Amino acid sequence: MKRLDISKLDVAALLGTDACVRCGECTLTCPTGGEAQDVELITPRGKLLRMRDFVKRQYGLRARLFGPKGIEDDELEEFSRRVYECTICGQCKVVCPAGLDTIGFWENMREFLVANDLGPLPPHQQIVKSIENYDNPWMQPRTQRPGWSKRLGKEVVIGDSLKERHEVLYFVGCTAAYDPNIRAMAEYTARVLARAGVDFGTLGNDEGCCGSTMMRTGLSDSTKGMVLRNIERFEKAAPALIVTSCAGCYKTIRQDYPKYGKLPAPVRHITEFVGDLIESGKLVPEARVDRTVTFHDPCHLGRHNGLYDQPRSILEAIPGLRIVEMERNRDDARCCGAGGGVKTAFPELANDISELRVADAESVGCEVLCTSCPFCYQSLKSAIASSGSEMEMVDLMELLWQSLQAPR
Amino acid sequence: MILYEPIMIPSGMKDSLGRPSGSLLYIALAVLISAFTAAVLLLPYDTVYIQEETYLLWFLVVMSVCFAVFLLGMTANALLWMRGKGLAGTPEARLLLLVSRAVRTVFSRRLPGLLRTFLKEAMYTSKLRTLSRSRWLAHLLILGGFAAMLVLDVVVTICLDVFHWSPMIDSDGWAKLLMRDLAFDIAGLMMLVGLCMAIVRRLVLRPRQLATELADVASLSFLLIIVVGGFVLEGMGIDGAIPGHESENAYSFVGLAFSYVTPDSAGQYYDEAWLLHGVLSALFVAYIPFSKLFHMIAAPITITLEGLATREAGRR
Ligand code: HEM
Ligand code: SF4
Ligand code: SF4
Repeated sequence: MKRLDISKLDVAALLGTDACVRCGECTLTCPTGGEAQDVELITPRGKLLRMRDFVKRQYGLRARLFGPKGIEDDELEEFSRRVYECTICGQCKVVCPAGLDTIGFWENMREFLVANDLGPLPPHQQIVKSIENYDNPWMQPRTQRPGWSKRLGKEVVIGDSLKERHEVLYFVGCTAAYDPNIRAMAEYTARVLARAGVDFGTLGNDEGCCGSTMMRTGLSDSTKGMVLRNIERFEKAAPALIVTSCAGCYKTIRQDYPKYGKLPAPVRHITEFVGDLIESGKLVPEARVDRTVTFHDPCHLGRHNGLYDQPRSILEAIPGLRIVEMERNRDDARCCGAGGGVKTAFPELANDISELRVADAESVGCEVLCTSCPFCYQSLKSAIASSGSEMEMVDLMELLWQSLQAPR
Repeated sequence: MILYEPIMIPSGMKDSLGRPSGSLLYIALAVLISAFTAAVLLLPYDTVYIQEETYLLWFLVVMSVCFAVFLLGMTANALLWMRGKGLAGTPEARLLLLVSRAVRTVFSRRLPGLLRTFLKEAMYTSKLRTLSRSRWLAHLLILGGFAAMLVLDVVVTICLDVFHWSPMIDSDGWAKLLMRDLAFDIAGLMMLVGLCMAIVRRLVLRPRQLATELADVASLSFLLIIVVGGFVLEGMGIDGAIPGHESENAYSFVGLAFSYVTPDSAGQYYDEAWLLHGVLSALFVAYIPFSKLFHMIAAPITITLEGLATREAGRR
């Protein structure tokens, strides 16, 4: 009989299992439990009540009076798999009338699974190994990290923040740095920053994985060293501001790093920073971009950090652009399906969810689907291909760059 | 979870803060239970509707036991939460520390924000309102009726048995008519309407998100039996012209309506019915910590904490 160790569960999560009123509002919009699969156990209600059942069976009043009851291995394995099918999109937090901070719960639930040898799943373990050995999830050598900037040639000079001080430290993030399909995100970010005359640099080879993947899969305890190493480099670079173009890095550095150590400078997402540059007149998008676009709110930007207006203000500044909203937008935006390690462990499920999002965009008749997160970009782009859509997937900085070219 | 830390569960809550011994918790519980039992057993009950004294005593004993079960059940649940991470010491010691933290938070500069959040988000259930108006209304009627009933019970008992206040005692006293007759009936009616709406929704309309299981049926049925039972009892009292119900006044309008439905002879069994209603209500109290209805304690805590955290994060 397995006796679960619940000492890793947050007090608030345990309280939450009692506060869930079984109303089911979360089941309607949960992209993975409710929409893509209709499996109750993945929905917040399903997970919370099952967790409550486990805890009561082993630690409840009856268990204390008559001894704990065993839980079958199958049951635990199924639970673990279902918990890892959640994209941690936070949609449930938005609707839950019992005020449950489900985003925190799901991350914490994974820590609990890891503590009980029930997680992470084997595909996650490969990524973890890569992060531990290569400091990035993609098994790429450290020396390749600055490879993304090659295409910039001499047009844009990327400073080395560890050699000389730059006002802004651009934290590129592993996905944009290494994935050849996504490198353009980093490239256009750098172009836009340079065009605004921002004095910026990067950590070059020394930028370490932010630790997001590890934290989202329940391995927070193992990330401490990585986080502290990055904070040390931030201190050495001593910028006035840290800017990220990856929504995942942004959430991690902004919300998780302060739990481990003090950040030497505030961190902002590129959409906030560039939005301000446009507002202050340092960037003037002049060239018309005569296209119809819709913006997909990345979960880590929107629901996790409340950045809804900033990306839209950039789009609104681009002349000629027709912006249409999908029916589900802002805090109601459907998740792209990639988050929370789902794309790694359940690529087909992730793609099913992405296709639902692509259909959302199709239904409003846009030509361009725009976002500001490498994971959303990657998943939506492949779902556009798999669903035979004609839409073009574009990163927000790339779209802005089109408008920063001299008017033709 | 970072959101909760600044308010109630500080990460640095170490033993060095001074760890009260866990036994203090059980002493406090024993004192509370004894005080409640003593108060319940010692009040004079001069003006209670029931005439049969042994029945009254039975009810008082059951009520005292049920209250003890309620408190112990609540404590057991809270102790289970305390097994989570982030706090030092035994679950009992952690619970005491947390309660003292909570009290300090309540009596701090956070009070206005806390109160506003509690009233708007936990009591008025503002988020439920945005999800479904009818669902919200049904619940607000149940919650409001229940809360009003609780307050009325305490106020009326104190007026009658502690202060022997005649406007509350006299059968045509203004306080008696407005509170013991009218207000109780309104509170009960609110619950009745709310429960009927919830039941229709669950059993007839069946929206997709609802999964009806024993826990849901049990909670709704228990509440319904008590509320309908209360009105039937009032109707029986009016039928039998029991002291306090003899005037057939229109203030107890729901009870009066029920009295037209029940046969006049039902009044003979008033005392038995009173005992049954009393015991069921006491059992309901004992049932709360072990049921879905425990949310009436847990949900206001999560809602208020989350609301306050969001409010404070927004201001930062
Ligand atoms: C004090 C704060 C309370 C909060 C924040 C709260 C919150 C909620 C929420 C969000 C729901 C789900 C909505 C629904 O099922 O329609 C619910 C359901 C319910 N609540 Fe409360 N509640 C509270 C107090 C109470 C009280 C005092 C009672 C009365 C005994 C009560 C009885 C119920 C019942 C019976 C249901 C289930 C309704 C159904 O089955 O359709 N609640 N509560
Ligand atoms: S975070 Fe998203 S995927 Fe996970 S349970 Fe909530 S709604 Fe479903
Ligand atoms: S919305 Fe919240 S309270 Fe309702 S079932 Fe889902 S988790 Fe439970």
